[in-house]
Amino acid sequence: MNWQLVFTENNIRRLLIGDFPDALGGVALTLVLTVIGIIGSTLLGFLIGYLRFTGPKPLRYAAAGYVEFLRNIPLLVLIFWAYFAPPYFGVTPSKFTSVLVAMVLFNAAYIAEVVRSGLLSVSIGQIEAARAIGMSGLQQALYVMLPIAAFNTVPAMTSRYITLLKNTSLAFLIGLAEVTEIGRQINNRLLVAPVEVYTLLLAIYFILNRSLSAGMRLFEDRRVFNRVFCFFVR
Amino acid sequence: MQLDWSILLGPSGVLLLQGARVTLQLAALALTLALILGFLFGVLRWSGFPPLKLVCWLYVEFCRNTPPLVQILFWYFSATVILPPGAILFLRDYGFEFAAAIFALGIYHSAFIAEIVRAGLNAIPRGQYEAAQAIGLSFPTTMCSILFPQLLRIIAPMLISEAVSLTKNTSLALAIGVTEITYEARTIDYVSFHGVEALTAITGFYLVLCVSIAGLGHLLQRFLSRHRRAPA
Repeated sequence: MNWQLVFTENNIRRLLIGDFPDALGGVALTLVLTVIGIIGSTLLGFLIGYLRFTGPKPLRYAAAGYVEFLRNIPLLVLIFWAYFAPPYFGVTPSKFTSVLVAMVLFNAAYIAEVVRSGLLSVSIGQIEAARAIGMSGLQQALYVMLPIAAFNTVPAMTSRYITLLKNTSLAFLIGLAEVTEIGRQINNRLLVAPVEVYTLLLAIYFILNRSLSAGMRLFEDRRVFNRVFCFFVR
Repeated sequence: MQLDWSILLGPSGVLLLQGARVTLQLAALALTLALILGFLFGVLRWSGFPPLKLVCWLYVEFCRNTPPLVQILFWYFSATVILPPGAILFLRDYGFEFAAAIFALGIYHSAFIAEIVRAGLNAIPRGQYEAAQAIGLSFPTTMCSILFPQLLRIIAPMLISEAVSLTKNTSLALAIGVTEITYEARTIDYVSFHGVEALTAITGFYLVLCVSIAGLGHLLQRFLSRHRRAPA
């Protein structure tokens, strides 16, 4: 085992932040992709899930079509669409934008399904009570249905977010320098320590994912969830 | 820009068809491996004694928390170090990267299937197992004739969505140079500058494939629950 070849100062710095002053990379870029991806796909997912649950009929069908279409193609194909197709139409997106757009669109389809099942779990009495005290449709959605649905979907969301974090590794296939790409470069330079390099990569992703699920588990406590949720919605 | 759909009928189309064949082979073989390993680990974790349970837990947690792409790279680059030379020569005859992709995807999805199997076994009333033991059935007979028929009925929908997910993940094999359909589409983009047509074709291919797997799964589930009355 050649661990000392892998654990040099230069390698560790590159794995963590890439070639930072010039270009962000490594674990830092993976985390940036994950955070923006989670925020974007959650917002879009809630919108589409809500529309599919209770929208005007054409919008409901459009949302259903969107979800069914994106859930039946691989994320990689979507990333290739976002990266290889725009140049044919005269637009050249950056690698970062392509990956981010593809990931947000793809995960929003899954999150929309999670949100829809969460909305289905809101009991009819809650909605009737909201209507009885004279709330408007928007108020019902924002103050009654959304909080209950969001709380009920925390465990399912956690697994979607973990999948999203794992999927950021696909960015290396179009050459974005996140942690998998850096690991591959280190492996290509060393050539004699593939087991060590890729074990290290697997361990990095394992730690990131366990931290993410540990963090999400905090929100399964209703008091914590309510405090954070009220901070954003009010 | 000018789209030229007729390229799909020429050599590019042949490339895509070859890629489609590789994708189907990869999906079928990886799914077989995933089902075997998944059922093995699921049943072991459900019934096993503590050290075995710990091993299964570690296996499942590790596979589920690391990206399939990195697992594919790991098996591809590490196999030459881990495996004995004889096995490497044998695998090389059958396409080394193809074997690595089957292995990695099979292992990755077996972890999910193991969890599905365990959850399904936990959902069957304990009395079923105890009654089978009480009338003196052996463990294999108990599993095969009492528990598995009920288990399959419970977990069929989840197995189907796992199969769809595995089929979609076969596209990741292009990272190590398996010439499956996404790889061929990228080649067409590089070589003949007809990326949009190729991407449209493979998007349609994956859509049809995944929807038909889901459809077949629906039929399978109807078949499995043919003896049950409709829920009241």
